[in-house]
Amino acid sequence: MPVERAESGAPPPEEGHLFAGYETDPAFYDEMFDADGAPRAHCRELWAALGGTPRDELATMQERAERSFLHEGITFSVYGEEGAQERIIPIDIVPRIVAAEQWEFLERGLRQRLEALNLFLADIYGPGRVIADGVIPADMVRGCPQFRNAMRGVEVAHGAYVSVCGTDLVRTHDGFLVLEDNLRVPSGVSYMLANRAAVKTSLRDAFRRHRVRGIENYGRLLRRTLAELSPRGDSDPTIVLLTPGVYNSAFYEHMFLARETGVELVQGGDLVVRNGFVYMRTTGGLRRVDVIYRRIDDDFLDPLTFRPDSVLGTPGLFNAYRLGNVAIANAPGTGVADDKSVYAYVPEIIRYFLNEEPLLANVETHLCRDPDGLEYTLDNLDKLVVKEVGGSGGYGMLVGPHATAEERDAFAEKIRATPENYISQPTLDLSRAPCLTEDGAAPRHVDLRPFVLRGQETRLVPGAFCRVALTPGSLVVNSSQGGGGKDLWVLSG
Amino acid sequence: MLSRSALGLYWIGRYLERAQHACRLIADQFETMKDRPVDEIDKGWRRLYGGLRRVPVGGELSSNLDDEQFMLVDAFTLADDLTFEAGNPDSIRSSLANARENARQVRHVVDEDLWSCLNRAFFDLRDLGIADIWQDRPGDFYRRTEDAVRTFFGIAESNMYRDDGWHFLQLGRFVERAQLLSALLEAQLAVYPARGQDTGPDAGPASEAETSDPEAFDAETSDAGADAAADAGPVGDPAADPAADPDWLSLLRICAARDAYGRRHSLHYDPAAVVDFLVADPLLSRSIRYALAQVCAALDAVSAGRPLIAEAGRRAGRLAASIDYDWPNRDPADEEAIRATLRGIGESCRRLHDDIDAAYFSYEPGDGDAA
Repeated sequence: MPVERAESGAPPPEEGHLFAGYETDPAFYDEMFDADGAPRAHCRELWAALGGTPRDELATMQERAERSFLHEGITFSVYGEEGAQERIIPIDIVPRIVAAEQWEFLERGLRQRLEALNLFLADIYGPGRVIADGVIPADMVRGCPQFRNAMRGVEVAHGAYVSVCGTDLVRTHDGFLVLEDNLRVPSGVSYMLANRAAVKTSLRDAFRRHRVRGIENYGRLLRRTLAELSPRGDSDPTIVLLTPGVYNSAFYEHMFLARETGVELVQGGDLVVRNGFVYMRTTGGLRRVDVIYRRIDDDFLDPLTFRPDSVLGTPGLFNAYRLGNVAIANAPGTGVADDKSVYAYVPEIIRYFLNEEPLLANVETHLCRDPDGLEYTLDNLDKLVVKEVGGSGGYGMLVGPHATAEERDAFAEKIRATPENYISQPTLDLSRAPCLTEDGAAPRHVDLRPFVLRGQETRLVPGAFCRVALTPGSLVVNSSQGGGGKDLWVLSG
Repeated sequence: MLSRSALGLYWIGRYLERAQHACRLIADQFETMKDRPVDEIDKGWRRLYGGLRRVPVGGELSSNLDDEQFMLVDAFTLADDLTFEAGNPDSIRSSLANARENARQVRHVVDEDLWSCLNRAFFDLRDLGIADIWQDRPGDFYRRTEDAVRTFFGIAESNMYRDDGWHFLQLGRFVERAQLLSALLEAQLAVYPARGQDTGPDAGPASEAETSDPEAFDAETSDAGADAAADAGPVGDPAADPAADPDWLSLLRICAARDAYGRRHSLHYDPAAVVDFLVADPLLSRSIRYALAQVCAALDAVSAGRPLIAEAGRRAGRLAASIDYDWPNRDPADEEAIRATLRGIGESCRRLHDDIDAAYFSYEPGDGDAA
């Protein structure tokens, strides 16, 4: 082995070296090291740069990055006994690197998937061929709580139902898998940009040598995408970002994006509807709004259409939308396409609408509504993860291998009672990447969320919000549960 | 500009002006506490509470002028109340926290440098208590905090695009200033009723409280009464001489007006002249007249082309005009009337705020507004 390492230009690390105690595990794909423990070719510069940097200097960089997050107010809110607290998402300054050809493949896969999902949404709110042709069961679509009857027959510019998509991807030994399509109000893009700004400062030499592709034009791409949705076409449209307000956990991101894109940040009460048009209250009177990038759920858009008890929305907004006088991104009702049982049909949806084989694989999914899927799930509860189809954020979930026999039995009862409410998937061997710890570099599980934009055309920046489970061994990357962020470097070819 | 964004900037202006005003008042009180007698310290607190329109905990200030120790312990409590007390909405910490919270809500229209200045200022004092600053030169703390506010406005001055956002920041700042000044002057007259009219121009000469040579300046002034007093020769009771009263000097210091007053008038701190200076001087940045000029300019800038909502502008203009044309006709000896006038100015500022709110922030949109 040592001979091979020498050939690959990477001598074995010495005692006290940052990576000296780093242990790869054959069960998990490692983002930086190959099966022999040698740094992968596209990571070598970073490996050498980190190894050559004194440990205390790395610790200082780490500390400085986190302090700058606090000073710049790059925070999210957590609700506890003492009211809302502002916290930062911890950053690990060791970037995750994606080689040029890997990204090229991912990008094609992401474009393909979003294209198909938009066609799917246009179809289910339009002619409904995909249901008539028996590709997907009618009740799964129309019975989905996220299906919005009000959207039937609504004209959507360029068929861009989903204008901003944040797809969760994981890597295993089998390659990249799509874990979840986030098609409603995906967040995290501000952390992608903040992590880049912090890491670029700390590791500028390695960053330059690796020829990392830039992501800083995300704001401009987003603005262009939104402008293309304007019902007024050629004129310079008035675009607003609609936020639930400062108490929303993603408020920092809303503010950040409003500034990046140069649009006004509004709340429901700032908008009024008159004669089928949407206006915002300005110091100079009412001003017509053309495009709303909303960062609130469907339910809170318009109390007249969706939830009468909501105080957040703007009465009459949906009517203005249906009349074609304002664009809303993402369109209401996109949540039906990221439902966990519809997810299982996405490969078929791609084949049906595009007549192509899907590039990005799904996680193997068993629908408990099918007798076979139910039987398989109940027989293998100790090996599977069972999820509620409408659930999110880890709620209503059973992680079989970590549950007790009693918990599994109790859950099996719930599945039998309403099988259509559940799906199951194998527990995934998420890939790992090195993180800075007090004892040197250590492996932690990671995923990634790239952001794909769709207006008249599809656009994406070569980057992603890379989430990392900072607790050793943990697979939970959620920021509310001990997850952190990493910069993700996509290399030029 | 979105009304709510403008409203946020307006309040940032108000809260920071309030914080700065409190810093200046309290820092000056610490100066008084260095070497002035107990009864002057007591009066200083009364002016402070009056000027900040704060009712002391317990309803009124408890004084025990015979017990110096009591007065010092009391000072600790009072300074804490005005500086750090979370339950006091106008304490310096509350003002900074409110300014920051407003900035957080409209951060997309707040320059990055401005935000980080405000955010740091807040974090610098968030975890402090009065005990942390009491022992070691407490004046430094207030100067540091005021510096942060000055830095904020300095950055705003150099960075901000002069659109509505800038004008509403200015508007908030100077509406607050006019209102705070009227309250401070009213409190000053209540706590230190001028004794000039009782003792007449024959009162004693300038006191030792003045550090520079008063005669040199007096010779250049046309204030016959003051000249006569300076010529009177024998050193009398300094408290009997209104021109020598350190309380009027300290008022000028609080308003950063001592040097300007000295150049413009004399080093005799004649109460009527000091009040006139702080109300009506158009060149003094901490005069009511100057603040109103800024308010009028900001309102002009944001109201361009909108005759329907000119009520705020008219009220501000009337107020400024009354200082130009009515104020000079007052009877300087009638302090009751002057205090009533100052109260009236404060009340007008409150109405002005309501006008601004109704015109720009919480107006009921009619169909005619839709453009």
